[in-house]
Amino acid sequence: MESSAYITLRNVVFSRSGRRIFDGVSLDIPRGKVTAIMGPSGTGKTTLLRLIGGQLRPDSGEITVAGHEVPKLRRKALYRLREKMGMLFQSGALFTDLSVYENVAFPLRVHTRLPEDMIRDVVLMKLEAVGLRGARDLMPSELSGGMTRRVALARSIALDPELIMYDEPFAGQDPIAMGVLVKLIRDLNSSMGLTSVLVSHDVPESLSICHYACIIADGRVIGEGTPEQLRTHPSERVRQFLEGKPDGPVPFHYPSGDAASDFGVNGEGI
Amino acid sequence: MMGRIAALGRLGLTLVASLGRSGRFLFGVLAGVPRPVTGFPLLVKQLYAVGVLSLAIVVVSGLFIGMVLGLQGYTILSDYGSESAIGQMIALTLVRELGPVVTALLFAGRAGSALTAEIGLMKATEQLSSMEMMGVDPLRRVIAPRLWAGFLAMPVLAMIFSVVGIWGGMLVGVEWLGVFEGSFWGNMQSSVDFADDVLNGFIKSVVFGFVCAWIAVYQGYDCVPTSAGISSATTKTVVYSSLAVLGLDFVLTAVMFGDF
Repeated sequence: MESSAYITLRNVVFSRSGRRIFDGVSLDIPRGKVTAIMGPSGTGKTTLLRLIGGQLRPDSGEITVAGHEVPKLRRKALYRLREKMGMLFQSGALFTDLSVYENVAFPLRVHTRLPEDMIRDVVLMKLEAVGLRGARDLMPSELSGGMTRRVALARSIALDPELIMYDEPFAGQDPIAMGVLVKLIRDLNSSMGLTSVLVSHDVPESLSICHYACIIADGRVIGEGTPEQLRTHPSERVRQFLEGKPDGPVPFHYPSGDAASDFGVNGEGI
Repeated sequence: MMGRIAALGRLGLTLVASLGRSGRFLFGVLAGVPRPVTGFPLLVKQLYAVGVLSLAIVVVSGLFIGMVLGLQGYTILSDYGSESAIGQMIALTLVRELGPVVTALLFAGRAGSALTAEIGLMKATEQLSSMEMMGVDPLRRVIAPRLWAGFLAMPVLAMIFSVVGIWGGMLVGVEWLGVFEGSFWGNMQSSVDFADDVLNGFIKSVVFGFVCAWIAVYQGYDCVPTSAGISSATTKTVVYSSLAVLGLDFVLTAVMFGDF
């Protein structure tokens, strides 16, 4: 696994606003596979993607992408590396003043000197891949949530990246849109030979498409392996998350004081 | 007592940190010189948004302020029998002070707040982040054209304001109140000096344009990406720009005209 890892994290420590988000996270993300990073809300899954993309710098530890140590890269080299990365944001993050066509054409216009007719062909091919060639003249405000993410996906693969990161791609999607996204992620990964990193807390969808998964909680990796290995993981915490149990190692009740004194009954009758 | 001292210290630290961040931000924007081929169309688009779309409010305000100056000037000067000096009074007031200052205040309210809200919303909807992840520097692509557009548009708007204001003053003074047209323009020509008055007023508007545009883009870029954060940043843009313009106006006036 080490030799085929496209992304490597070693003892990554990251804090924000005095709160420690990651406390020594180590992780290998294999090349050419779909890796799901799961965990409860607020555990820093999106932060992890931003660390990999170099938008945030860790307090300590190493983050290597395609052999480059991301936190040590100079601005220019980092931006060059990002041309090999695509990222699908939770909101889609389409440019609201540009049409669907222009959104997908944006990275091509900025990073290549392709003639206009070739840009047109590439944009239409990418939109065809996500099933939205017919929507090229629409504005982002005219798209549904699922369509927005598909356009954003077309934009993020416009430059044929090596790595694509999905930030909560299934959040807030209806079953059909979710099914479309699951199919697209799987198909794009196999047809383009991408390395895909998927951050999500939608367990069934994520496990159905990933080759490898890891679960993050309390600033560290609490379980990792193939979907089959995780389902039979010895950690109760991992199983509670995967099975969605309301109580367990992660308690239902937020830590609180003595209930009797809160209700003012001195323990009698409670 | 200790609590108040600690709060004052915190306020000072926050202020210094914010000044440091805005300085680094400005350096980042100015260091990334836009490429002529891709940068020029973006600049033109922003000049339209920031400059051309501010023309209406600047022209209307300039007209009314010039007309009010004409009325007030006539009322005061006629007490001394010197109403013929009304042209000189209107021109000097507008070119030296009101042109740059009022245009900058209008600019902060019209264009500055729009810039902050637009950039803040781009941040809240992750458009700036997605640009970064596409290998495109938002400082160069989004912020720099807006900063330069504000910097270039303000002096032109201030000049238009002064010209329209003088014309408004002429309408009231000459056309309505009957001041002799020859003395109106003649007094103005003999008393307004290009280097001392016009150029100094122009320098003021250049400084105000730069400061207002800097505050506006920085507040948008640095805002908390929520609806409350954008609202607060927009308010800060107008308040800080107005205070900065009025404070700097005093300093610049003291430097330019304070040699008694």
